[in-house]
Amino acid sequence: MEPLTWTGSLGSILVPAIVITAGAFLTGLILQLIMGLFAPEVKLQANADGTLQGRGGLLGRLENYTGHLFLLFVLLCAAFIVLSWFMPYGDAGIMGEISKRFLPVWISLIITFTLSIKFKRSLGLYGKLFDSTIGMIGFALVMFWVFTAIFVGLFDMIATHDPLSQISGIKNKTPGFPVPEGQDEGFFPHYLLGGDNLARDIFSRMVEGSVIVMVIAPLATVFAFMVGITLGLPAGYYGGRLDTILSFLANLILAFPVILLFYLLVTPEIVATGLPNFLAAFLFVFPLVFFGVLINSRFKTQPSKNMLYLAIVLIPLAWLYMSTISAKGSPLFIWPNFLDGFDIPGGILVVFVSVVFVNSPTVYRIVRGLTLDIKTRDYVAAAQTRGEGTWYIMLWEILPNARGPLIVDFCLRIGYTTILLGTLGFFGLGLPPESPDWGSTINEGRKLLLIYAHPALPPAIALLSMVLGLNLLADGLREESLKD
Amino acid sequence: MENDNYDGPILEIDKLSISFFTRLREIPAVMDFSAKIMPGEALGVVGESGCGKSTVALGVMQDLGVNGRIVGGSIKFKGQDLNKMTQEELRDIRGSQIAMIYQEPMASLNPAMRIGKQLMEVPMIHEGVSEKEAYDRALEVVTDVKLPDPKRMLESFPHQLSGGQQQRIVIAMALMSKPSLLILDEPTTALDVTVEAAVVELVKDLGKKYGTSMLFISHNLGLVLETCDRICVMYSGEAVERGSIEDVFDKMQHPYTQALFRSIPLPGADKNARPLIAIPGNFPLPHERPEGCNFGPRCDYFEDGLCNENKAIPMYPVDGMERHETRCLKFQEIDWNAPIEVGAQTEKPEPGRVVLKMDNLKKYYEVAASALFGGKNKKVVKANETLSFEARESETLAIVGESGCGKSTFAKVLMGLETATDGQILLDNKNIEGTSIEDRDTQTVADVQMVFQNPFDTLNPSMTVGRQIIRALEIFQIGNNDEDRRKRMLELLDLVKLPRAFADRMPRQLSGGQKQRVGIARAFAGDARIVVADEPVSALDVSVQAAVTDLLMEIQREHKTTLLFISHDLSIVRYLSDRVMVMYLGHVVELGTTDQVFAPPYHPYTEALLSAVPIADTSIKKKHIVLDGDIPSAMNPPSGCPFQTRCRWKDKAGASLCESEVPPVRVLADGHQVKCHLDDADFAAMEPVIETPVAAE
Repeated sequence: MEPLTWTGSLGSILVPAIVITAGAFLTGLILQLIMGLFAPEVKLQANADGTLQGRGGLLGRLENYTGHLFLLFVLLCAAFIVLSWFMPYGDAGIMGEISKRFLPVWISLIITFTLSIKFKRSLGLYGKLFDSTIGMIGFALVMFWVFTAIFVGLFDMIATHDPLSQISGIKNKTPGFPVPEGQDEGFFPHYLLGGDNLARDIFSRMVEGSVIVMVIAPLATVFAFMVGITLGLPAGYYGGRLDTILSFLANLILAFPVILLFYLLVTPEIVATGLPNFLAAFLFVFPLVFFGVLINSRFKTQPSKNMLYLAIVLIPLAWLYMSTISAKGSPLFIWPNFLDGFDIPGGILVVFVSVVFVNSPTVYRIVRGLTLDIKTRDYVAAAQTRGEGTWYIMLWEILPNARGPLIVDFCLRIGYTTILLGTLGFFGLGLPPESPDWGSTINEGRKLLLIYAHPALPPAIALLSMVLGLNLLADGLREESLKD
Repeated sequence: MENDNYDGPILEIDKLSISFFTRLREIPAVMDFSAKIMPGEALGVVGESGCGKSTVALGVMQDLGVNGRIVGGSIKFKGQDLNKMTQEELRDIRGSQIAMIYQEPMASLNPAMRIGKQLMEVPMIHEGVSEKEAYDRALEVVTDVKLPDPKRMLESFPHQLSGGQQQRIVIAMALMSKPSLLILDEPTTALDVTVEAAVVELVKDLGKKYGTSMLFISHNLGLVLETCDRICVMYSGEAVERGSIEDVFDKMQHPYTQALFRSIPLPGADKNARPLIAIPGNFPLPHERPEGCNFGPRCDYFEDGLCNENKAIPMYPVDGMERHETRCLKFQEIDWNAPIEVGAQTEKPEPGRVVLKMDNLKKYYEVAASALFGGKNKKVVKANETLSFEARESETLAIVGESGCGKSTFAKVLMGLETATDGQILLDNKNIEGTSIEDRDTQTVADVQMVFQNPFDTLNPSMTVGRQIIRALEIFQIGNNDEDRRKRMLELLDLVKLPRAFADRMPRQLSGGQKQRVGIARAFAGDARIVVADEPVSALDVSVQAAVTDLLMEIQREHKTTLLFISHDLSIVRYLSDRVMVMYLGHVVELGTTDQVFAPPYHPYTEALLSAVPIADTSIKKKHIVLDGDIPSAMNPPSGCPFQTRCRWKDKAGASLCESEVPPVRVLADGHQVKCHLDDADFAAMEPVIETPVAAE
């Protein structure tokens, strides 16, 4: 087998075209910026039919050109991706093969976007997102990785090799290196992004890593939000001493150097005392409290319904909770084995505890601030004057109306958590060392970065694109939720 | 300036059309609007919210934001077309030749800059004068707006001043560069009535003194009557009638103007004998305007085929009157002098037994200097001082007073959100002053309910209308199951005259008046016997006010509810209440039947309050009483009589007495009590504040 080139046979035509278009677009953009400084100001005027008059003159024409150039650039990139689908193996080069591997993701993205744009008027805030270019780009980036995680995790589709298996002879080999003949049959013929220093396929590790990131980051963020909300609401609503104490604690945690905290959490002596387990037991109880109070406050007036709903929600949650905190060898081994559904590896527990620890004070402060504002509204007073319980007011009158800023913050916080996962992995904390998650693989690749740059780059670019996507998505959501 | 000797119209708006462009459609906000303001003239623009009056002002300022565009017509300021000016030329004019005063004074002042600096900036930027000269001018203007101690004022920051003082500073800032045109956009809406009266007085005087032309935007017809020479009535983006104040007020030529006047509680209206006539239907949304006349679907004189023909209706000049125009196709056919059709008259229900009794109720707050290390410097705020009164079944008791008078605190204590410091509240002879809402039984909670002021705040925005009413039913333990409650909820919607389909709507899909109706339905969910209505209509448009007020009255008649109507608007109080209680700084200064309170002898504060309320009737003569200064802070009340700092009768009763002793409660007539040191002779000598001509009745 021949090694693959980066762009294959398409490269000779399309790549120069893309480069030239991108260059022309950038030049136009810069020119436009410079000319904009000297141009006379525009008076926007409407035509008789209600349309707006565009800006005329050289600058106006330039604006048009750059717009068209950008469109052309996007079209060329899309053409590259689409053309590669129809080419026989090997012809499209590394880029083409990767784009081919992601085919299910592309199809899902196209379906999602077509449906969403078609029905955007009846989809509320989610639909409004498709009015903002920034939001759409962010959403596309995030959904790309979400779909990747789904197809890799559930259907085992995109990855080319097992992320942990090694093939001798491809250690630290560059992208597009062929798998040597004579190995076991059924292998994908190339390492698309090369091999790492243990001769594992980098491309497969990157897509497998997305599964871990996609599961842990949102989940850990949800826990942080549960803790922040459950503490922030009463602090803001009652105020006074409770608020003073909780806010002081939040500030204390924020002021504490978190890296030190992470190291402390994994120090064998500390682990031996069971501190991480107790912390986890404490932090994981918040969702139970949250949902219990949420349902109870709402259905208190109808006891039979209340019991039913509480049972439906709390029994599975309690089982999950007990299974999570109870594990063999941990000091909290209190749950009989036949009931214990699963064990969470100690490393992941530490990840959760640290993420919750770092994020919940900030969430707490946001929720507290929003509560302080919303509790002065008349509908809160109306709830008080009809004798509602305080938890009903907090969870059903105040919290739903604080959702806008919280959704935006949630998106941003998933991004932070992903980076935090990387940071933890980078220090060798949390996940096991062979884990293909992006933080660990970047750390792994860092060691030989001066000699071989290729193992560290793909997970780094993946992490970058996803966090960027989340930030853009949050921006888009914020922008659109502010509009009427 | 090249135009210093210009003597044509200051502002000439010709067929102005303004649209806002959203991602869905173009929304025409103003259509075919023309106006002319001569030097020294004041033009009032009146209309309900959403009619485009503020958009006109912003159009003049060429400040329509990113979505707004002028799509037709011209705005000429001293003969120059503002539409054709560049941003730089406009910057030059704004603030120096055209000044604007907004509704919220605090939002117009920079909180991080001293008042003096902000004022001096204006001439320093526009005319490049020296700092010394700018300071002198600032001092002069601040003296002109009648602020005490001008030098100290210039040194202070905006937050150190009261709302009324802030608005005076904003006016001073507008006058710093001696503008030719002053635009006032609801300048007094955020202020208390007595402060409003003083500010309006000031604006009028300054207009005369400086010869400034004014564009006065307001929803309050009475205010426009007091300040302006000419008036323009707007409806749904169009000017419907235009003319001098006298012509429009007395010889109106448009059905909308007529309907507007019939829906405001002028003296003479009475809830039983002469109820208000609400304008039927709803204000059309800008993109759902009807064909032909915008007012057509709500008009009494509507003629099919003529009024709804898809054709723009021009302004027709009215014969025999100068510069009086109307946008009505039938104005010549309508008999404008036809007597008002009296609405359904109702019997005045006899007040029943006493359901609520307050006896010497006191509510004090302790305010600590610091939340964490308090203790030593505790201050006592006396929010309510010796409140005593009774309220009977199916009676309306109005509680009147300005902000800070303690009426909201009183409501909180009654509802059980706070507990009383001293005294007692008897509900059906049961003491409830010490039981907070958590400890009250469901029946008591359901019996005492509240209707809130702000319609945009009274409903939870993320819950459907039906769900919110059902929740109230659940908490009051009404109905056995979900179907029962849903049925009852739909009945409640019927009660407040809302279509049943509204049950599944979100609050944002409802208009202000509709939201307020849902609020009323929610309050009556548990068949409340006492309803505290905290300014329930003050945030609504006049035409909607009448409908909501009538609804409240009707429910009251049916359910024999005791209504505690908290308001600062004396016109509406006179219209609907049986008895009136006037509060000032936590004290009840006057209590009596409506007739007793609205006729002399008055408490000096009631007198001033009556004089301050603008009345939209040219035939009524008011005595002019302007109170000095602001309401003292409840943290730091004056010694003796709470009203002594602003009282004009203080000298008569003996200044030292007023300053040292809280006056005793004096019973003047049966059920009429006043807290004042004045002697009987002075009370007898008081003249009525409002003189209604005999012929009007």
